[in-house]
Amino acid sequence: MSNFPVAFIVILSIISLAGIGFYCLLATRNMIKVIIGLQLMVKGVAMAFILGGNLTGQVNLAQTMALTVIVADTIVAVMGLALAVQVRHRLGTLDIKALSTLKR
Amino acid sequence: MNSVLITLGLIALPLVAAPIIYLFGRTSVRKQRLLGMTLAKLLTLLVLVLEGLLIYLGVQVWVAGGSVATNIGTIQVGLDGIGLIVGTIAVGLGFCVVIFSIPYMENENGEEKYYALLLTLIGSIVGLACSMDLFNLWVWFELMAISSYFLVAFYNEQPASLESGFKYLTQSAVGSALVLFGIAILFSTTGSVAMWSVWSNATSGTPIVYAAAALIIVGFGIKAALVPLHTWLPDAHSQAPSGISAMLSGIVIEAGLVAMLRTLSVLAQTHFPSGIILLVFGCVNILAGNLLALRQVEVKRMLAYSSIAQVGYMLVGFGVAILSSSYVAAAGGFFHMLTHAMMKGLAFLAAGAFLYVLHIGKGEHTALVLDDLNGAAKKYPVVAFLLSLALLGLGGLPPLAGFMSKWQILVATAGVNSTLMICIVIFVALNSVLSLAYYVPVINRLYRLNISETAAAGRSISWIMVLPMVILAVGIVVIGVWPSLANFLTFNAAASLMYPFGV
Repeated sequence: MSNFPVAFIVILSIISLAGIGFYCLLATRNMIKVIIGLQLMVKGVAMAFILGGNLTGQVNLAQTMALTVIVADTIVAVMGLALAVQVRHRLGTLDIKALSTLKR
Repeated sequence: MNSVLITLGLIALPLVAAPIIYLFGRTSVRKQRLLGMTLAKLLTLLVLVLEGLLIYLGVQVWVAGGSVATNIGTIQVGLDGIGLIVGTIAVGLGFCVVIFSIPYMENENGEEKYYALLLTLIGSIVGLACSMDLFNLWVWFELMAISSYFLVAFYNEQPASLESGFKYLTQSAVGSALVLFGIAILFSTTGSVAMWSVWSNATSGTPIVYAAAALIIVGFGIKAALVPLHTWLPDAHSQAPSGISAMLSGIVIEAGLVAMLRTLSVLAQTHFPSGIILLVFGCVNILAGNLLALRQVEVKRMLAYSSIAQVGYMLVGFGVAILSSSYVAAAGGFFHMLTHAMMKGLAFLAAGAFLYVLHIGKGEHTALVLDDLNGAAKKYPVVAFLLSLALLGLGGLPPLAGFMSKWQILVATAGVNSTLMICIVIFVALNSVLSLAYYVPVINRLYRLNISETAAAGRSISWIMVLPMVILAVGIVVIGVWPSLANFLTFNAAASLMYPFGV
């Protein structure tokens, strides 16, 4: 267990990244910040893959998967930002509260 | 054709064809000519026919005793029973939706993107069902999610459509992240993401494996609309173009459910109590879906809430199957998946046809409310009849397909012979009656009330729109009268699902 402290630090940062991202989703009302929160969450998870690869001795596989995750996640972010641009055009605001006509 | 070519063709064909279809459509946008768009539509239909043919060839290889599987690098893909039924539903329903969309989406802004994205959606569902690798499963799941974000927010000038798109994107992306976290934990503990090696390595129920299973249930549960996680569904289903509503309700939420079941079956040896969890979620889904659907005034929103209830029936079937190792219950769950795709597909297409002739075809993006349908059968007898057929099928009336699949689930549940299961049968059957309380008033409105102003002023309906609905309606009646037709699909799927559980 020579790499125990490193693994411990990485686990801590995974949990805190995912936690900060999740808190960001809950606490913010701005569309851009919501997308930043999503990104933070998924980056934490990508780190979990790297840690898993390190623990099981399959660093190459883990890195491939982390890269795939980053690509897929970027597409989601681009899509979210495109929606944010449209919302800003149509409604003149990025506040999520402006987007609640459907609730009933 | 050998099995490797069939598998690769099945997975690669829609993804290769989608950009080509977009390019064809794009030429017609630039030059204002119809040729490119027509070619794009025809090519989409052709690709779906080829997909159907490949599935058929795969089944032939299967029946002859071979297996349809291959490796792409270290990733295993193959057409098993689950892949067969999900692929059949996706391709069949997709075919109907593409035909329906030809008049529905005509001259819509961004029409050229629609068919390419729809084909990507269908291709990603087929890929998801054929994947034998947890990480690969997630990649297909994410591709499915991304193509459906675009399609849900397709009317990008409408604030309501943007709202539902953003809500769907946020919730679905959180779900994906949670699933990915679960897969990362499984990867760290078992050292692999291939399903069979995770299955053989995850033998003890350690807390960390249970945490991964919980993350996976919640993550896929957002897409499958388990009840506290369902809030995106009514918005997305009611605001998307009607063809996409049919796809979302008919197969996309079921694809989330299938992905969840596949991942849980990988954890079969850890004794994770997935059966009871699915059963509880199923009962909650049925009750909440029915109660929420009762108070809706928009037709598509009501159908969306009824999807939540219908997913509940599938969850009960799969829950009983896993809990008591009942093979028939799993087959019933898959049977309901098939019949629900036909019935809800038909219901959304019929509601979409009304929406088109009464509102969208005139350029106004207002929702179709129940009052618009008053007396509509006098002006649109065929579509009104098809909508009534779909609604009665969803309510579970005997000669139709919905009755048969619910019956199979209930019989299998009652066959377990425990007090709890009998209580569940009674609960589910009573809820099926409750669901008639919102299906039947629609039919009453269609036939017995005086014609509304909106319906009287509606446009005429194109026969191309009616054609796919007739196909689905014939399917509902035929399966309802002769349910053993679907046995090959459902029992093979049940065999593939239950095999890791040792049944």
